[in-house]
Amino acid sequence: MINTLFSLDALDTSRAFFLALLIGFGFGFALERAGFSSSRRLAGVFYFTDMAVVKVMFSAVLTALLGLSYLIGFGWIQLDQIFLMPTLYGAQIAGGLLFGVGFVMGAWCPGTAAAGLAAGRIDALVFLLGTLGGSVLFNELFPLLKPLYTAGNRGAQMAYDSLGISRNGFILAFTGVGVSAFWLSEWAEKTRTGRSPYLGSPFLKAFSLILVTAAAGLFVLTPARAGASEKSSNPAPLFDGEEKALMAKVEQARDHIEPEELADRLTAGEPDLVVVDVRPAGEFAAFHIRGSLNVPIAQLAETLLPSKNKGLIVLYSNGMTHPAQARDSLQRLGFGNACLLTDGLQGFRDRCLKPVSLRPEPLTPVDAGRVNAWRAYFLAAPVISNKPGTAQTPSKTLGPHVVETDWVAASLAMPGLKIIDLRPQPEYNASHIPGSLSLNVESLRGNIKGVPSMLLPPPMLAAQFSLLGLRPSDSVILVSGDKLYDATLAGLAFERLGHADFAVLNGGFAKWGQDGKPVSAALPVVTESKYPAKTDDHAFTADFQAVSASLGKPGIVIIDVRPADFYTGKKSDEARAGHIPGAINRPFSEDVVVRSNKVVTFKPTEELAAAYGRLIPSTNTEVIVHCRTGHQASQTFFVLKHLLGYPKVRWYDAGWTEWAARPELPIATESQPPEPERPR
Amino acid sequence: MKGYTDMKSEDRSTAAASRPYSNPYLAGVLLGLVLLASFVILGAGLGASSGIARIGAALSVCVAPSHTLGSDYFGKWGAKPLNYYLVFMFAGTFIGALFSAILANRIRLQIERGAAASASRRLWYALAGGVIVGFASRLAQGCTSGQALSGGALLLSGSLVFLLCLFSGGYAAAWFVRGQWHD
Repeated sequence: MINTLFSLDALDTSRAFFLALLIGFGFGFALERAGFSSSRRLAGVFYFTDMAVVKVMFSAVLTALLGLSYLIGFGWIQLDQIFLMPTLYGAQIAGGLLFGVGFVMGAWCPGTAAAGLAAGRIDALVFLLGTLGGSVLFNELFPLLKPLYTAGNRGAQMAYDSLGISRNGFILAFTGVGVSAFWLSEWAEKTRTGRSPYLGSPFLKAFSLILVTAAAGLFVLTPARAGASEKSSNPAPLFDGEEKALMAKVEQARDHIEPEELADRLTAGEPDLVVVDVRPAGEFAAFHIRGSLNVPIAQLAETLLPSKNKGLIVLYSNGMTHPAQARDSLQRLGFGNACLLTDGLQGFRDRCLKPVSLRPEPLTPVDAGRVNAWRAYFLAAPVISNKPGTAQTPSKTLGPHVVETDWVAASLAMPGLKIIDLRPQPEYNASHIPGSLSLNVESLRGNIKGVPSMLLPPPMLAAQFSLLGLRPSDSVILVSGDKLYDATLAGLAFERLGHADFAVLNGGFAKWGQDGKPVSAALPVVTESKYPAKTDDHAFTADFQAVSASLGKPGIVIIDVRPADFYTGKKSDEARAGHIPGAINRPFSEDVVVRSNKVVTFKPTEELAAAYGRLIPSTNTEVIVHCRTGHQASQTFFVLKHLLGYPKVRWYDAGWTEWAARPELPIATESQPPEPERPR
Repeated sequence: MKGYTDMKSEDRSTAAASRPYSNPYLAGVLLGLVLLASFVILGAGLGASSGIARIGAALSVCVAPSHTLGSDYFGKWGAKPLNYYLVFMFAGTFIGALFSAILANRIRLQIERGAAASASRRLWYALAGGVIVGFASRLAQGCTSGQALSGGALLLSGSLVFLLCLFSGGYAAAWFVRGQWHD
């Protein structure tokens, strides 16, 4: 069984983008081979001078149709693993007629114009600019067009169901139409131009015969079944009776459940209510409706068999299309009790979990009470992705960790949640997470006894925290731009004051924006607090005396996280070039994944654990991390101490800036510690 | 303009160097196999107009961000409309066609038109046709690639209706715009 990217809900991944690029390459190649980089050739179909459009199009449609039908017949793929576009008669009739007029005028369509442009056709470029303009025009007129856009909506509707005939019968008839179109096209060309190399040729005869035989062969492979048997997973068309039952349910709107109703029934602990999340496991792990199961679409029928026609099955995902297809396929297999969550997970969040204080419309006290009860129930679930099971409630019992955008978005109104935005001030003022506080990470560092860029002492940090209105009991979320180490450096300021309840937002603000979470440009309302400066936790830092004393000791690993060129001494912006003797190089940038849109996230914990497992002999080994000023090393410190749980990690804050400037300290410039000799 | 050949159709002196087009039926089979691969790998068919519309949305976001993000149609594509698989497919289509055109020595900088037709008439028709096609593709949720070809191969009712209407509209209008191809 093949899992398509659509069925895995993975069409928005970089892997899908790459594969789409490759498939596009094949598409463009085939179009150009067919001669569709010529507008004259495309226009020819409307004047019966060159019928290539009909020949190529029908050949392609029949090849894909028959190929897909055979794959389905062999059980390798199911039709509901493919995105089936909705049938909207109004929009598609009007759009089709208009498109035809535009097609004959411009003598291009969007795909062929791309091919034409590649072949140097200036008219293709002009056409594409027009298409771009037409798309923008559509957007501008959309409010007026809305009724037409959705007119005659029938959902995913197969032509053979509309006509009430069997799939195999329809395919054979359709193939017959295609083959006839080939012969008619050849005949038309001969009549109009006197030339037709393929009319009556052995090639066209053989080609026609192959197609018709292949279509007829489907009757042997997948014989039409009488009655509503359901033993096979073969996606037979909706049977008449079931079709009617489905339509009847749609009529009664029984195929949807509103988020509020679901929330009430779940909090009431109703038995026989099965809620199924059809998103990928990773998204499920990050956040899901409490009590829901995560089932891949391909395994739905099997997994849900015990609940068939018993109680209620609710399917949800981010949107609606995907669960709707899952529901239809369950319906085809005789499940009469599957329905969809209206507006999907986003709707559930917005309508049930959005804090009362963030709602644009005022709520009655009764409704506000309901919302608070839902939030208490659904947000108490373990929702922090990398520490499943440890988070009873998101509270101060948690140590420093990483949080995902979903969790933060769902917890915005949690009392005591403070979000600190470490991006440059203009970016913060343009747009930030509602209620977040701006902090310049450099204000946490200064010159201490002649050494620059040192984390400030507790009273100075506490004074700043007080101005931000922070309290020791707050849960703090640190939000960076594209430098996660801004968040981890701020984390060290909290660590110095013994404030353990802080978390780094994975992906920073860029991820927040990409996930479409709410933003605001308003300044938060802050009441000054008195943050106590009583603790001064130095246990996590190391000074140069400590580093110097550890040199040459076998049990201590020093990790230099600067870029390799600075480690080797090839580049230098300090008093001396090179590195601390015996230190190993693991650039901080190795621990994160940078995506093109400035989203920077930590690599998966397992990957990090494996990488550091190769560098550090055991979890109990003493580790000292440093960079130039301590900024980048704060990220490695966070990874080792808080993500991977190495207990004996220290941070050499002053770093290479200080080490290089003290001539009495030894340095090395060899590339890496000597490796064991390799046998020659 | 360097390299510009004002090639009217059937200009044998330049056309002689380029290789003839493939057998249309075999080219169609190749196209069908690409479509099948798209169904099996992506779980979705081919598409072209979405890629263009998303480029339009991206430009619109650059010019008028708040207006675009607040609009009903482009707005739901978010601030980064280009992060979409069909945008990448559209880029691939151009590259694939370029590859084929280079192999067959078919690249000619030209405005394709009838010998008796003026370049400006052809370009105005191309522009107007483009606007109509761009608009109609959004209305019908797809173009010849997404609806006619991909939806047709899936036997979706709406896509086959779209295909029939496309040819009806085309044949109805063909007579009025034939001038651009007069030799």
